[in-house]
Order: sequence, then structure tokens, then C-alpha cells
Amino acid sequence: MARSANPARLVIALSVAAVLAVFLLYTSIAGGGNPSLAPSELAGRSGTVQLAGVVVGPVRGDAHAGGLRFQLKDIGGQATTKVAVRYSGSVPDLFKVGRDIVVDGRLERGTFVAEPGSMITKCPSKYAPKKSGDSA
Amino acid sequence: MPELGRAALLVTLGLATYALVAGAYAAHFGRRRLARSAQNALVASFVSTAVGAAVLVSALLRNDFSFEYVARTTSRALPTSYTLSAFWGGQEGSLLLWLLVLTGFGAAAVTLNRAWARDLIVWVVPVFGAVSMFFAFLLVAVASPFATQAAPMDGAGMTPSLQNPYMLAHPPLLYLGYVGLTVPFAFAIGALLSGKLDERWLIATRRWTLFAWAALGVGQLLGSHWAYVEVGWGGYYAWDPVENAALMPWLAATAFLHSVMIQEKRGMLKVWNVLLVIIAFSLALFGTFLTRSGVVNSIHSFTQSSIGPWFLAFIAVTVAASLSIVFWRLPKLRSPTKLESAVSREAAFLYNNLLLLALCLAILWGVVYPMLSEAVRGEAVVLGRSYYDFFLRAFGLPLLLLMGIGPLIAWRRASFRSLATTFRWPTIVALVTGVVLLVLGAGSSIPGLVAYTFSAFVLTTIVMEFARGTRARKALGASSWVGAFTSLITRNRRRYGGYVVHAAIVLFAIGVAGSSAFDSVAEAKLARGESMRIGDYTLLYRSLNERETANATQIRAKLDVRRGDRDLGSLEAGKNAYTIEQQVSNEVGIRSDKLTGEDLFVIAEQIDPNGTVYFRVFVKPLVNLIWLAGLVFLLGSVITLWPDGREQRRLVARASTVGLPATR
Repeated sequence: MARSANPARLVIALSVAAVLAVFLLYTSIAGGGNPSLAPSELAGRSGTVQLAGVVVGPVRGDAHAGGLRFQLKDIGGQATTKVAVRYSGSVPDLFKVGRDIVVDGRLERGTFVAEPGSMITKCPSKYAPKKSGDSA
Repeated sequence: MPELGRAALLVTLGLATYALVAGAYAAHFGRRRLARSAQNALVASFVSTAVGAAVLVSALLRNDFSFEYVARTTSRALPTSYTLSAFWGGQEGSLLLWLLVLTGFGAAAVTLNRAWARDLIVWVVPVFGAVSMFFAFLLVAVASPFATQAAPMDGAGMTPSLQNPYMLAHPPLLYLGYVGLTVPFAFAIGALLSGKLDERWLIATRRWTLFAWAALGVGQLLGSHWAYVEVGWGGYYAWDPVENAALMPWLAATAFLHSVMIQEKRGMLKVWNVLLVIIAFSLALFGTFLTRSGVVNSIHSFTQSSIGPWFLAFIAVTVAASLSIVFWRLPKLRSPTKLESAVSREAAFLYNNLLLLALCLAILWGVVYPMLSEAVRGEAVVLGRSYYDFFLRAFGLPLLLLMGIGPLIAWRRASFRSLATTFRWPTIVALVTGVVLLVLGAGSSIPGLVAYTFSAFVLTTIVMEFARGTRARKALGASSWVGAFTSLITRNRRRYGGYVVHAAIVLFAIGVAGSSAFDSVAEAKLARGESMRIGDYTLLYRSLNERETANATQIRAKLDVRRGDRDLGSLEAGKNAYTIEQQVSNEVGIRSDKLTGEDLFVIAEQIDPNGTVYFRVFVKPLVNLIWLAGLVFLLGSVITLWPDGREQRRLVARASTVGLPATR
């Protein structure tokens, strides 16, 4: 049975090839994801990026009429760069000054214009304390 | 009290180290009494860990805020049940739960199997010892749950959205799943080390793997349901790294549960099975690492902590050591049989395995991509939802189809003629379903339509299998159809329980396709008395009410809902403002149609002081099938897990007399 000597290897090889083909197909049509940046790294960037930062007040405007306006600075870093952000669409419950958020969007004339509905807030660590109530 | 806890964990560390060192020595030099003593150490380590756990539970219940852990995770006002759930709420507590379950599972699995598989067990004990040692070390030296402080007046409390019954069950179920995967891992490595590579390690661990896998599956669905009804963004899965962390080991375990059957029946895929177990266990560790280390941007960003590097090192050691052992034992893992044809049940199972693993690796790639691209290109690139959706379709849809083909296709070699007979009806039903749905307008989403067609195919094969089996039982002399049906299932729990699980996956696929491919959304800013339409629903914003409760102000917009000209009553959606925690949470309004499984899902996104509300409304067809699928999944898992002495005896007898599985 020469024919049946190695179908297992053939099957695996073909399957691996198929999987790789799907990967190639994906990367060729979708072109990968967006870079994730901190506010201090944003200067001079064009194209859509993901911006992660801490919300700095004041928060003005209406997310469903003209856009919510606020600023973002680096999470935990020493950098003091702040980026003005305009956002419209759903605002997560946990959005407020001092929270870490992530938005997708692009820099337009010095303002980061976020894609509608792209905002994600990070949970203040699952069961962890609020900063103000921390006794340590 | 904290001293007792610390001492108990120190004892656990000592016992685990003893189980590793003495166990390995005894196994290598064949010292039977020493091996027995190492087993006892493993059992004792469970007892000492339980003492430590009891100390923490009692501290939680007594609101003893001199324990840093208790002060950080609870408060006086917290109801008792959530105070208990704080046990696994923080990092140190959840590590302690890991260790408790691990030593418990280890002690049980070793005790239950040492009579009939002694030469295997002697090598399993040191593996359990090694894993326990790692967790005990973390708890003693890096993240102690028994750190003390001057007790503050009150604890910091718990995030409101987590004060929820789902959080009593969802995290511990995931932990049972993660830890449960240690059992097949320990037995696989034990078998490799001992060189006794017969099927006994599979028989010994089958139910453990099934249990871990079922707990992971149910745990994830509970988490999804929680996200759907409580978090209130309109979805149930966001491909977040922490969610993926639980999905990946589940997929690897699913692959293992299938390929194990090929090894039992045909003696093939030995290396593959060992690798899958190693992958599943490593992914479970990786999942715990992801959840706890904060290395990736996640919605669930848990406390960032010092245990990350330790975990990464342990994962690296585990993978490297396991692969070396597999490589060393390769000559003993040769299969006596070969795949004979690419069209056979073995081949179908192999395709299933490759697809599951491909999906798993695609998800893994997506999870680690930001870290890799940061390391290579200097900036983190995040792969979004479209990446995961693409691979779910590319690998998930063929998997769905295979679920119909695999169980029915002949072993060894299937002829195309027999295929035509077997699959005539399923194919016809699938095509008819596809055409009918196309006429009804389901062509708006091709992946959705394909998913429905495949689902119809699989469901038909499952119904046919049950019908055929029941008829055969009746012909064999069962008194009634019901009797025939029950005896069919009880006599072959594994097979028919498996079919029930398949049915659950189909329901799940239909629910996911319906709610993601055929959903609709509408948004509008309404003043009181104004209305909006979505599909054939009309929503009239009636009034805005405010209520004060003990810990929150509840604002609710009341809407009158009509569908066509039928009055469906009213629905409330709004927000809770938690005074102490200074947090606002969306409280969504959901109206489920019991008959069609469709949900009307209302979010009051923004409530203005003048009473106008910005509403976001979804119609999600068939979404309730996802939750129904969870119940069916549980039923199927229970059927397969139910103790079956006859089957166990048969497997044991086959493994001990033949050594090699029958090639039938």
C-alpha cells in the first residue's frame, strides 16, 4: 500500500498550507491593526492610531451633539504632553477625569478626532480600591 | 490568625517540594515506600492549603481589616455573599484558590488512580508537586494574602458592577477549568517520564479533562451573559485579551477531547495528544498570567503586579521542559497504525483538530501581537475586532460543518458512495434551509447564511443519529420509545452526550450569527412624548423617574413598546449613580421574545438635565439561543461526565489486557 504510506503527513502539510494561505489572505486584505500610542508619541503621526491615555479635565461638550472635548495625557509616565480629543458616540459608564481610556482616531490640525463609538475605558482594577480610599 | 495562614502556606510549600523531590527520587529508584510518602505529602498539602484558605475566609467574614487583602477588597456594607466572593476577587486570593483547587484535584486524582496505575502515579506525583510548589512559592514569597497592616475603619469596597450574582460563579468556574487542565498535564508528563505510554493516562484523566473543559465553557458563557445584561454596551464578547485568555485553553482542550478518541480507537496521534495537553495547560497558565500581569491593554485591567515575570518564567520552563520530555520519548510514541485515507473519521477528527488549533493560535497571535510588534518595530500594534471575526469565520465555519460530518463518516476509509447515502438527507435539509432563508432575505450576510445552512446540516445529522439509535434499541426489545431513547443514552453516554454538546454548539452558532450578522441598531435623542422606530418596533419615551436606594440614585426612562400594532407593555432603561463609589452604571432595558429568542435592547446613553434622553436601541434576533446553548451544553457535559462503571471497567480491561487499542 504505497499510496497509504503517508497520507497523514500529506494531510497535515496541506492543512498547514491552507492555514498559512488564510493568514496571507487576511494580511493582504486587512493590512494589520492600528499602532497603539501614548499622547506623548502622537506628534506628527498621520493615519488611524489607537490612543491610550488618562483623561484630563475639563470635559466639555455633548457626545451626541458636536462632540465631547477633553484632553489625554500619558498613563503613569513623566511626560506632560496633553492632546486635545474630540469624541462623539457612546460614552462608557466609567469615563471620567483621571480614568484610563483608549480611543481610535487620527490627528487633525492638532486635535485628535476619535472615531465615533470607539472609546473603551479600563475597569478600575476589578475589585481594587479607589485611589482616594486607599489607606496605604 | 495571619500567622496561622502564613504558616499553613509555608507548610504547603514544604510538602509540595517534598512531593517533587522525594517523589521523583522514589520514582526513579523504585522506592515504593518513599513514593507512597510523597503521595501522602500531596494529600497533606491540600489539607494545609485548606487551613490557609479557611483563615482567609474567616478574616473576610469577620471584616478583619488588619488583613491588607480584606481591607482592599471588601467593606462593612458589602453583603456576605460578595464578601465571600472577594476571596477570588483580588490577586492573592485567586492564587490561593488556584493552589487550593490544584492540591485538591491532585490529591483526588492520585488517590483515585493509584490502585490500578501505580507505576504511572509515582511519576504523576512529582509533576503535581512541581506545579503546586510554584503557586505556593508565589503565595509565600511574592503575593501573600496574609500581609497585615494597622486596620483602617472600613475597607475600600467592591466595584458596583461586580456586586452581582454572576461574579459568585463566573470566576471560580474559570479557575476550576484552568486548574483542572493540570490533571491531564500531570498525567501526560507522568506517563512520558515513566515510559508507560499506554492509554492508561487517558483513561485516568478523561473525566477530569471533561470536567475542566465543561467548567471553562460554562464559566465563559456566564461571563458573556453578565457582560450582556450588566455591562450594557449591547454585546457579549469583545475579543478582549482577558476573554481570549479563557477561550484559548478551551479550544485546545476541545481539540484534545476529540483526538483522544482517535488514540483510544486506533492508537494514532500519540505525540499530538501529548502536545495538545501541554498546549492546553500552558495556555491556562498564560491565561492566568494575562489576567494578572496587565501586560496588554485590556478592558479588564486588573491590578498590575509583581507576579508577571514569575509567571512568564514558569510558563517558559513548563513549555521547555515538557517539549524536551516529549522529544526524549519520541521513539516510544510511535503509532502502530497509520492514517489510511484522507476521507475517513480519523481524518475528519484530524481536520477538526487542526482547525481548532489554528483558531486558537490565530487568537493567541492577536493577543500577543501588540507585545511582539512593540519588541520588533518599537510600537505596539493592536489587532481589532475585524481580525478575530475574520478568523472565527475562516476556521469556525468549516469546524461547524465538520461537526456534522465527523461523527457519521466511516472509520479508516470511507467510500464516496457511502458518503452519498449517509449525508443525503442532511445535505437536502441544509440546501432547503439555505434557499428558504435566502428567499426570506438572509442573503444580507453571507457568513450568517452559511452558518445557518451548516447548522441545519449538523442538526439533521444529530437528529438522525438519535432516531437511528433509538430505533435500533426498540428493535432490540426496549419496551417503549422513551425507554429505548433513555437506554440509548445511558448505554453510551460519551457518544450521545457528545451529540448533545454538538447540538449546543449549533444553537450557539445560530445565536451568534443571528445576533451579530442580522442585528440592527437605531439611535435617537428623544424628549418626553417623542418616539422612535427600529424594525417593526415603536418605542415611545413616556417618563423619567428618579428613585433613591441605599447606595445609589436610580434614574429610569420609561418607554412604551409596540410591535406593529401589538402593545408589548413598557420597558425601563437608565442609569444608577453610586454615591459612595462615585460611579455611574448603565442599567439597560431588555425585552426578550420567548418565542423567537429575539431581544429588544435599550440603552439610555445620555440623560440631560431637561429630561431629554439619548437612546441607543438594538434588535438582536436569536440572541437568546446563546444562553439556551449554555444550558444544553451543561446537559450534554453532565451526560458524558456521569459516572459509568461499565465503560470504565471496559476501558481498564482493554488497556491492561491488550496494551494496544483494538483497531476497530
